Amino acid sequence: MATLPSGLDELIAGEEQLARFLTQSSQFNSKMAKPAAFLPSLKDRETSVSRHGSEPAGSLWAIGLQAAGDRKLYGAAIFKARAVTAAQLEVLADEPPPRHAAIRGWPWIERDPESQKAAQKERAAAIASEAALFLR
Amino acid sequence: MREPVSVRTFGICCLAGYAALNFYARGGSAISAEALAVEKKAAAVVGSGERSQALFGEKAAAISQLRALANDCSEPGWDGNEASAIGPLAVSMAERLVRALPDGLPLPEFAPEPDGCISMDWIQSRNRLFSISVGNNHRLAYAWVDGADRGHAVAGFDGERAPRRVIEGIREILDHGNATIGSR
Repeated sequence: MATLPSGLDELIAGEEQLARFLTQSSQFNSKMAKPAAFLPSLKDRETSVSRHGSEPAGSLWAIGLQAAGDRKLYGAAIFKARAVTAAQLEVLADEPPPRHAAIRGWPWIERDPESQKAAQKERAAAIASEAALFLR
Repeated sequence: MREPVSVRTFGICCLAGYAALNFYARGGSAISAEALAVEKKAAAVVGSGERSQALFGEKAAAISQLRALANDCSEPGWDGNEASAIGPLAVSMAERLVRALPDGLPLPEFAPEPDGCISMDWIQSRNRLFSISVGNNHRLAYAWVDGADRGHAVAGFDGERAPRRVIEGIREILDHGNATIGSR
């Protein structure tokens, strides 16, 4: 199995934890990260995540701050990779930066943007329902 | 020639009328059957007015939150990537939907989406939620998670009446307990 520059295996196991960093206060409430936090970017049609769990927290927030750039880092939604596949999506290693991965396979229906959006929302909601919220 | 009625004069008249209604509604010294009937009607009008005010107040607060969110995301790239700005048309549609929600239905939380839509979320718990995307047109994309069940669909919105299917879906999620709306 191939090893990445970060030292992680290229293949992401179902039990591996992933972090989606939250840079908007409206992306979460007191209980969970909202589905909108997991929707793909328009540019590359994927959702960026980091291959990191809630511990060690120092390392998690260091990666998060780098990912956030100028934006405020509020916290992270942590979920297992199997939540992604259960939502009929895939998560693939995508370094650099180290530990970066991308959720891909989002439905894209050019002729019907609303149907596309509804299908994406269902998958995003499915991941959100499996993600634990960690605030800084 | 008639003098135009100023807004101020109109407001004073309304206030005076409402105050008079309040006097009757709170019960005065009415003794005749007619006076009691007037008192009862006045109480009904005042009660209805107070309920409307309470509802309007909640919806006004929700609309303020919505506008604040739109303001934060009014420039492209608000997500640090290439997210589309939330435009005035999406805000207008979302406001219309908030106003069209039936009385008694908890109000949603809002979140920005990368394509410039506004997400309106009713979150009962992590496993029970209903989420609508409001964009620049009359079609609403929505999805829900209800325990192990989940799904998605699209509904038309005429700008005045919230789609029945959507309202039924939200109620089904919320009927499992009290919504955590505004729990932030």
